[in-house]
Amino acid sequence: MFKAKYLGYAVSMAAALFTSVSYADIKFSGYGSLVAGKTLGTVDDPLNPGQTRDETFTADFYDVGQYTNDLTFNAESMIALQATTSLGEQLDFTAQLVAKGTDDFSPEFDWYYLTYKPSEQWTILAGRRNIPMYYFSEFSEVGFAYPWMRPPSNLYWWQVTQFNGVSAIYDFTLGDYASNVMVFYGNEYSYDNKEMKYYDRLYGGNARSVDEFWKDILGFNWNVSGDNFDVRLVYFTNDRDRTTVNADGTSTDSPHFTQEFLGFGGSVNFNPITVLFDWNLVKYDDAYGTEFPTYLVSVVYNIDKFQPYISYSKADHKRKKVPTDDLEEHYLLSYGLRYNFYPSAALKIQYDNFVDQGDKATGWAYHGDSRAVSIGVDFIF
Amino acid sequence: MQSSIKNRLLCSIGAIGMLLSMSPAVSAEVAVIVHPSNNVALDKAEIERIFLGKSKAFSSGETAIPTNLAAGAATRSEFEDKVLGRTSAQVNAYWAKLVFTGKGTKPKELDSDGQVTEFVAGNVGAIAYVAASSVTGNVKVVATF
Repeated sequence: MFKAKYLGYAVSMAAALFTSVSYADIKFSGYGSLVAGKTLGTVDDPLNPGQTRDETFTADFYDVGQYTNDLTFNAESMIALQATTSLGEQLDFTAQLVAKGTDDFSPEFDWYYLTYKPSEQWTILAGRRNIPMYYFSEFSEVGFAYPWMRPPSNLYWWQVTQFNGVSAIYDFTLGDYASNVMVFYGNEYSYDNKEMKYYDRLYGGNARSVDEFWKDILGFNWNVSGDNFDVRLVYFTNDRDRTTVNADGTSTDSPHFTQEFLGFGGSVNFNPITVLFDWNLVKYDDAYGTEFPTYLVSVVYNIDKFQPYISYSKADHKRKKVPTDDLEEHYLLSYGLRYNFYPSAALKIQYDNFVDQGDKATGWAYHGDSRAVSIGVDFIF
Repeated sequence: MQSSIKNRLLCSIGAIGMLLSMSPAVSAEVAVIVHPSNNVALDKAEIERIFLGKSKAFSSGETAIPTNLAAGAATRSEFEDKVLGRTSAQVNAYWAKLVFTGKGTKPKELDSDGQVTEFVAGNVGAIAYVAASSVTGNVKVVATF
């Protein structure tokens, strides 16, 4: 199940990397999730009329972590080891070595960045991090940090989630509220993108690879938090290019366009109830006037060590210039329970009902309905 | 028959008693302490902001150095419950979000009340908490909970 040799390898690799910094005092910490799950039935195959297949529930779009009728630990189990070392006054280096079940637990450095803190107010982060798209994007893999098994996956469906770049964060006080503004700039060149290759195969393609480029990602993220709420507003824009490398070695470029991402989300505490919400809109300036409006609302009830919750998330795909309602569309209704059986470990069980409202005739209902059950433990160390 | 009902009742009461005794008892008072030279007034909300990393400095401009007792210490759970209004797991979840995204550093941790008072006595910006019975003459109590 968990491949100890990989973990050992990961730890020794991290150790080898860092012990060469002679005077370094390295702080190790980390997080992980051990999750098993499966879907509960079969559906008519939306892309092969007349045939049935296992219900397929995508728990992790970016890593193509999916549940079918066969119980698996690999769809979303993962472990991350974070090492931070001070390089001198106000300057730190942080790296996260992440091993995921979707990659057979082979470790990769998913995050690495320098942190420069010239003053109490300013933080500069330079390196590889997650793009702060949705409210939970930056810590979407830190299961211990939120109540659900995972942030509602039908919103977190992008084939690019990380970028290399620079983020500048300014912390300030707004009356009684803590506030920070982050401005970020960077690029992501995702060669042989896993999610895009999966879709190519799903629709019967045989491409060698699909390369996805998000260039000049530029935006800001404004966060305000008080005793009982935490909200954030995000806007960013980037250029989008895609190159499909065909089986014969030739390349096909998809039309270039600019995309804009807008989001407003957060959490509000009405003791003992917490409401989590997010509203987002993605727009392309392409020939179709493509738009993806999405939203989520979730209610969590906090009873001592128990947090039962319910969440509803809806994703839609529209074309403003060629009006049609019959494209990709789905909602996800999830119920679950988090039990903090230890201050740094939580047991979770969740039931997901994914309803595909896409247009079957045009192949947009490619997910198909699914019902999934997952149970797991999220921990930090 | 009667006696068995009585026994069952007694057993249930015993079980409930045990359950109640497992929940955190109202224990020692927690004293929030600072360096004797620190004259700022601190209310509960401001102490909470400092320990959650939302306030980084005192109103005097002095950088705050919040300091925790080690994980699992009874006084720490007490402080987290009474002042931060969160369970230990919720506090950990809050910090996990910040620590693993590069946006914050958890307060430092010391092992005992003795170490904490010593640290606070020697650092102008320090703010910490100990059991009220552990307060020494070389620190200043700003609030008790």
